[in-house]
Amino acid sequence: MRKIITSIFVFGLIVLTTVPTKSYSNLPTNEELQVGLSQEFENFNPMIMSMLATTWMYNMVGRTLMVLNEDAEWEPQLAKKIPSLENGLAERFTEDGVEKIRAVWEIVDNAKWGDGTDLTCRDFKFAREVALAPTVAITERETYEQVEEIIIDENNPRRCTFKYKEAKWNFNQIPKFYALPEHLERPIFEKYKEQPEGYEQHSLYTTSPTNPGLYNGPYVVTEMTLGSHTIFERNPYFFGGPAKINRIITKVISNTGTLEANLRSGTIDMISVLGMSFDQALAFNQRVQGRNLPYNVNFQPSLVYEHLDLNLDNPFLQDVRVRKALVYAIDRPGLTNALFGGKQPPAYHNLAPLDPWFTNDPKKIVVYPYRRREAARLLDDARWKLRNDGFRYNENGERLELTIMTTAGNQVRELVQVYLQDQWRSIGIRVRIQNEPPRVFFGQTTNRRRFTGVAMYAWVSSPESNPRSSLSCDRIPTEENGWSGQNYPGWCNERVTELLEKLDLEFDEQKRLNIIHEVLYHYTNEVPVIPLYYRSDISVTPINLRGYQLPGHQFSATNHVERWYLEDPKKMENR
Amino acid sequence: MDEKQKQKYLEAQPMWKIVASQFAEHRMAVVGLIVILFFLSISAFAPIISAITGLDPDEQNVFNRYQPAFSTVATSSINRELAVERMLANGKDYTALIDAAIAQNVLEYPTTREDVLYDMATAVAPEVLLDELASFPQVEGLNDFIAVVGGFQKFHLLGTDELGRDVLIRLVYGTRVSITVGLMVAFAAAFIGLIIGSLAGYYGGYLDATLMRLTDALISLPILVVLIVVSAIDLGNIIGGTPLSFIVGSDYESIFKMVFILCLFSWMQVARLVRGSILSIKEQEFIMAAKTLGARDSMIILTHVVPNVIAPLLVAVTLGIGNSILFEAALSFLGLGIQPPTPSWGNMLFNAQEMVQHAPMLAILPGLLILATVISFNFVGDGLQDAIDPKSIRR
Amino acid sequence: MTSFIIRRLIQTGIVITLLSFFCYLLMTLMPGDPVDLMISANPNITSEDIERLRALYGLDQPVLVRYWNWVSTILSGDLGYSRTYRVPVQELMGPRLINTFILSAAALLVSILIALPLGILAALKKGTRLDYSINMFAFTGISIPSFWLAIVLIIVFAIWIPLFPASGTRTVGVDLSFGELLFDRIRYLVLPVLSLSLMSIGTFVRFTRSAMIEAMANDYIRTARAKGLSWPRIIVIHGFRNALIPLITILALSFSGLFSGAIITETVFSYQGVGSLVYESIISNDFNVAMVAFMISVSMVLIFNLLADILYGVADPRISYS
Repeated sequence: MRKIITSIFVFGLIVLTTVPTKSYSNLPTNEELQVGLSQEFENFNPMIMSMLATTWMYNMVGRTLMVLNEDAEWEPQLAKKIPSLENGLAERFTEDGVEKIRAVWEIVDNAKWGDGTDLTCRDFKFAREVALAPTVAITERETYEQVEEIIIDENNPRRCTFKYKEAKWNFNQIPKFYALPEHLERPIFEKYKEQPEGYEQHSLYTTSPTNPGLYNGPYVVTEMTLGSHTIFERNPYFFGGPAKINRIITKVISNTGTLEANLRSGTIDMISVLGMSFDQALAFNQRVQGRNLPYNVNFQPSLVYEHLDLNLDNPFLQDVRVRKALVYAIDRPGLTNALFGGKQPPAYHNLAPLDPWFTNDPKKIVVYPYRRREAARLLDDARWKLRNDGFRYNENGERLELTIMTTAGNQVRELVQVYLQDQWRSIGIRVRIQNEPPRVFFGQTTNRRRFTGVAMYAWVSSPESNPRSSLSCDRIPTEENGWSGQNYPGWCNERVTELLEKLDLEFDEQKRLNIIHEVLYHYTNEVPVIPLYYRSDISVTPINLRGYQLPGHQFSATNHVERWYLEDPKKMENR
Repeated sequence: MDEKQKQKYLEAQPMWKIVASQFAEHRMAVVGLIVILFFLSISAFAPIISAITGLDPDEQNVFNRYQPAFSTVATSSINRELAVERMLANGKDYTALIDAAIAQNVLEYPTTREDVLYDMATAVAPEVLLDELASFPQVEGLNDFIAVVGGFQKFHLLGTDELGRDVLIRLVYGTRVSITVGLMVAFAAAFIGLIIGSLAGYYGGYLDATLMRLTDALISLPILVVLIVVSAIDLGNIIGGTPLSFIVGSDYESIFKMVFILCLFSWMQVARLVRGSILSIKEQEFIMAAKTLGARDSMIILTHVVPNVIAPLLVAVTLGIGNSILFEAALSFLGLGIQPPTPSWGNMLFNAQEMVQHAPMLAILPGLLILATVISFNFVGDGLQDAIDPKSIRR
Repeated sequence: MTSFIIRRLIQTGIVITLLSFFCYLLMTLMPGDPVDLMISANPNITSEDIERLRALYGLDQPVLVRYWNWVSTILSGDLGYSRTYRVPVQELMGPRLINTFILSAAALLVSILIALPLGILAALKKGTRLDYSINMFAFTGISIPSFWLAIVLIIVFAIWIPLFPASGTRTVGVDLSFGELLFDRIRYLVLPVLSLSLMSIGTFVRFTRSAMIEAMANDYIRTARAKGLSWPRIIVIHGFRNALIPLITILALSFSGLFSGAIITETVFSYQGVGSLVYESIISNDFNVAMVAFMISVSMVLIFNLLADILYGVADPRISYS
């Protein structure tokens, strides 16, 4: 018996020690790349897809007129050129007393659907028709609604004029204006358009997702199993030339704790941006460097803005000195260095550094360094006196007490929450933690303003977008307005509201910048919201993957998937 | 066997004595009981343990996360500042010390004179500062300051967790929640399950149908939906105005909900087991005999039926304890359990889950304690079965 | 007996109807409908969008109306569409239900085959070292959270000793013959089945052991031995049969979970089962999917409970349902 055990043990040791630490032989080649995603996907009908995983994957098979590239600049994709007032492709005009805009979009000459049919303006016009049908459950209809009419050039079906119903400076930023293959989808739409959700349920994207004619991107879908995997193969008709990787397989691995194990056992070669949690990525990065594993762990600060909403109806929080004390007492650089290895930058306000409107100039906005004793002094000023139990009390004998709420089960937020509790405790504020499942938190607590003190969550917005919905006076959710609007703190500054109204209609870039900087000044000065940090996007790629860049905004890396290629592992070994 | 012992055996003994002596014969059951009592006393004395060791379960040290066992690290700057603040607030005169300090240091933000002490305390590592202080002139209060700085070093026997908190003291405090939850669920399950199961099994008919369909319903209820609804319920609307209204908005609110959930979902398996066994027992001769003799139903159930279903009952209840300790932690993922930063074995284990490859000890330690608890309770259960079950009593 | 079964089936129907309404109600009581959740993810949604979507999803109608609509579609033999995936519910759930069934049934079978003999052995050798070892094994299986067990299995058997795939249901992107496919599926099943069964083995062992100890303490065992019956015969006919009642209860409970899916095991191994689908459908208010899953689980519980009651009568003929 003992002999058997010993031999098993020895065998185990041999197996363990012979597993090579850095093995190039397991690296993927241009033949096939397997990508792990931690989230489920639905289907690739661009009208209805709403899951992040679907959008990530859609960009491998479908393209739109334009996209924000890795340097956060607009870049035409299906369009030849982005029309603007400066390049003469767009013009302002007045119709019935309303100022409007006309812009000419021209689709690249070789744009085709995956079955060889030409992609023309008719496909965009059809998409708009579907989007506006009352029976289709599209989430953001505004994109299509802002275009009043699409007029197709009689001589060139790839050239058309979009007539916008309002003259907004960002009329030409329509990255979510998708095209639908009219030649395939029109009959289905005509048949089911009277039935609620009928089109979506019978669309070819749902019933026959492997039909190549549905896609215009570098790849087409050749196999799809909901909840499990999708196989993408090269689209010979892609307008941007053939993609370099032959086949890409995406797999859903919803438990993030096993992503690393899957990666190292070879079930997947790469972890997409929808994958590891921050802590896992940090730890894995250490192991990758320590043991020289053949992966790159990519971190990219993103537009996701983690913050604390302060409910300004709370009598304690109505005093701006208390709010400022709360900010001064948070060691944000310490927080991000200690918990995030410095890889998620501290936030100044609601705009991320990637945003062209960003500023951290102390002349333009109010900047709060970590000054614990300054915070204590502000509270002393506000007549919150420290008592022997270590907490502060006002003249009525009320204790300075706040409830901080966030989404239960989100480990990073819960860590930060406990960290904040400790920091505020040190200036004499008692902090109670009460977390709720995301459904409850977003379903009734934030959007009905039921949090009494502080709510921690994140916003994500595209660069240069108007923050009106979360900052204007008229966007405070109330019973009367049916709880619409996202100004959850209940912050009302008339000047800010007025400035944000003007922002969309301002065509002068410098003036827009001035407007937004003034808004940011008020935002940072009055502290309705405490900025915490900007989240980072994370992905893990094999070391031989080239042409890949993590963008950090919601336009995914797959928008340039045709540039990805895998260097030959053998060549790498010879280096 | 001498006369005396023989005499003792022949003497009629009270029931509890038989039970106790039978139980004591089961060695592992006694060990299990001792372990449980040990955990109970740990949870009772947690604050004293905290005071003696000087460790605080909530004291963070974020720049020293995931430290291995047996490590000594410097406390965080915020805790150093607080220590200095406490020293300055003790009423003694530290002017001389501050003067001496200002002579040697430059104030970073020249605001108040005391700030120099804060800056000194946080600027360098404690051992460096102690060296510096050794060369200070012997002014009044210097020794106080040295004592405070000396306290900046903390020894962590079992290392630190994801916020740099001491794992040992968190395990000690975690005992409180976990053992309480374990015991509570065990009693609730046994009590409710026994009542429902024996009523249904003994009386049969409509009562059986109603109670058992209710049990079935609870077993098949989508628990996630129930949990989300419960976590969204505003307790103020239900118990506002009653004597229980002090719970609303207090720290106990989520604990109250947790107790409710744990008890609600604990007893179905026990009820089923009890009922199944009673169906068979009630047809046996001794029950018939008792009935013929005119014994009341309650009497029959309590003295004849229950002791005969004790075996499956004990197994189900003691096995459920480990699950309930873990279930408690799962509940806090829905905001229903105890809220952070209060530790429990379950939530320590779950929080370590994502970092399984990086810091396995953080999960293994609470896991071992849960294992020890499960084993102890089960052996105690075995011992009780031997002691109470009429069939196992050796005559 | 027949009238008993008919009576019970009627009860079952009533319970299913009542519970389906109760669950429908509970689901509507969860705060945050799908539209609310869209808003929280997307600041660009306008209040017109919200109203339009609510009306389209029928969320603006009273619960009773919505419940009635649901019941009438179900009764017409149509399970409806999944709101999230826009595909018919049976198409979405069918294959996953089969996968879940394969996984759960295999795990149950493995654990029964291992646990019953172990439990009987422990009971017969009560108090010996063997008994303690078996018990310790059982306790460990019970105390290890399923997540941990699963991940340790993955690390050991997929990374250190790469015998089995770390996750998935089958190898994707290759064409396999039937034989190869069968082998492939089995390879993917090994680790999840192992991790699922280790947990239930513990439970089954403990129940078997305790019931056997009790049964073997009966006077008739002594009588049977005195009569000189063979030992295996005594154990099986006289001992085990009398230990069956609690085992039937526990097994019936386990079997009723055959289609419910082991959500943790399934997600850790990315196994294409029904567990995570049901979880997601509840979170995203996909009523048609959630309600079907729920109906299946209620029916299974009720049916297996009925089966247990019938089997009680087989195990102990004294039990009668008149």
